[in-house]
Amino acid sequence: MKVSLKTLSLVLFLFTLPLCGGEYAVIANKEMKPLSLGEIRAIFLKKTPYINDFKAVPVNLGTRDAIRTSFEENILKMNLLQLKSYWTTQHYLGHRPPITMKSANTVKAFVQKVDGAIGYINIESVDENVNILYRWSD
Amino acid sequence: MYKKIFLLICLSLSLRAEEYSLGEGVQVGSLPLYLGGYFSLDYQSKKNTERYRVDDIAFIGYGNYEKFSYLAEFEFKEFYVQTQSQNNTFVTQDTTLHAERVYIDYTFNENFIGCVGKYSSPIGFWNMLPVNVLRETTSSPFTSSIIFPQFTTGLSASYNSYGENDLKIDLLVQKNQDLDAGYNNYEINEHYGIGITYTKENLSLKFNAGVFNLVHYNLNNDNEENDWDEDEENDDDNDDDDRSELEKPQRYYALASLKYDHDNFQIMSELGTQASRKEFTTEYAGYIQGLYRFSDKHSVILRGESYKENVLDTTDDIAIVGYTYRPMYPIAIKTEYQFHSQSQNDNFLVSFSMMF
Repeated sequence: MKVSLKTLSLVLFLFTLPLCGGEYAVIANKEMKPLSLGEIRAIFLKKTPYINDFKAVPVNLGTRDAIRTSFEENILKMNLLQLKSYWTTQHYLGHRPPITMKSANTVKAFVQKVDGAIGYINIESVDENVNILYRWSD
Repeated sequence: MYKKIFLLICLSLSLRAEEYSLGEGVQVGSLPLYLGGYFSLDYQSKKNTERYRVDDIAFIGYGNYEKFSYLAEFEFKEFYVQTQSQNNTFVTQDTTLHAERVYIDYTFNENFIGCVGKYSSPIGFWNMLPVNVLRETTSSPFTSSIIFPQFTTGLSASYNSYGENDLKIDLLVQKNQDLDAGYNNYEINEHYGIGITYTKENLSLKFNAGVFNLVHYNLNNDNEENDWDEDEENDDDNDDDDRSELEKPQRYYALASLKYDHDNFQIMSELGTQASRKEFTTEYAGYIQGLYRFSDKHSVILRGESYKENVLDTTDDIAIVGYTYRPMYPIAIKTEYQFHSQSQNDNFLVSFSMMF
């Protein structure tokens, strides 16, 4: 039995598909300057309240959102317990966690309108109205 | 007073603008005001005494407006203490509401922040979280109470670079009386300090140095209670040349700190010294602490401490074994046993603490 290269490629593609994670982007509006990973972390951990002369407004997706989990693991490099411990400590120091929005569309619309707002969404939801600051994948 | 505080908390709970999460406080309506607090209860058993204590009951309010942010923290310290020694039982109650921290921050830009008011001295790692529920053991190491003033009333400025590795520089200045002078380990009227913190991934290194002017020396901790008044000592002899260097009020200090955080374990260490112009007042005080988390809720702690202090001529080596259970992070139930080189100070501690 002969197996064509095309068939083999298709089988390989189907087998490896589940191993590929999503691709995501940290976004802001067009006024935002490019940010380093360190600056993105500092904004989401509320270490710096201002960025680029704008009040930094980090926006999280809901607690159980898979994109948020990926963001916390890959960008903040913190697990759920570490974040709970971090925000309890920050409460003592007078800092609040980022605001939360329910959907990627809301995040995108908010980020587009508000200078200094910064969020993260699936790369497929990104359009020309927002600025990609950083990309990552699972 | 208590009724007003209670009513304010009830009002804020009824007007809260967002879903409440334990340990993160509540917003009062849509005002730039968040309220929270914490408390701790503990039990200590020593060779001949037992102590039951409602230690901290504290209320915190904070918020921000434009580039300003503010924080005020008021606390009842040792609200109720019952000590039993053989046939005697003593009860003390301190119902004074102390001003622990009251300050306003101003953010100049993403790198510079200035502060005015009474704040926790940004020295070492332990002193930044001097609250039972947030630290890993009920007791605090001596290093955090005999080297530097825990609170400063004055100005501070900090620079922070947010790159792949963080560099933070803190400057602190006090040239006035303390706000609520009784609520500090040292009563001071002058303090100048600098701190440099370098963080690379999980590792943070910090170095602090400074000088302060002592008005009243009030070393008061779980193991020793000593009070030494600089002014009273000086009344006996006003001639500087006859005074021991140890009694001179100007104190210089230096502290080096290290913290390594990993998913399952943490190592933290601080080593400091304090001196007058010619002599060491504390030759050294240091500790190293290891923490291992079995799970999100259970952790064990080992700490080794040592210090040699010359003003009261005390020295000790201490080993501490502790276990902490956190059913939720803002609630901690802790036990620890302390082995001292002066074995009469060996003791067992249990505490319950909560942030709300």
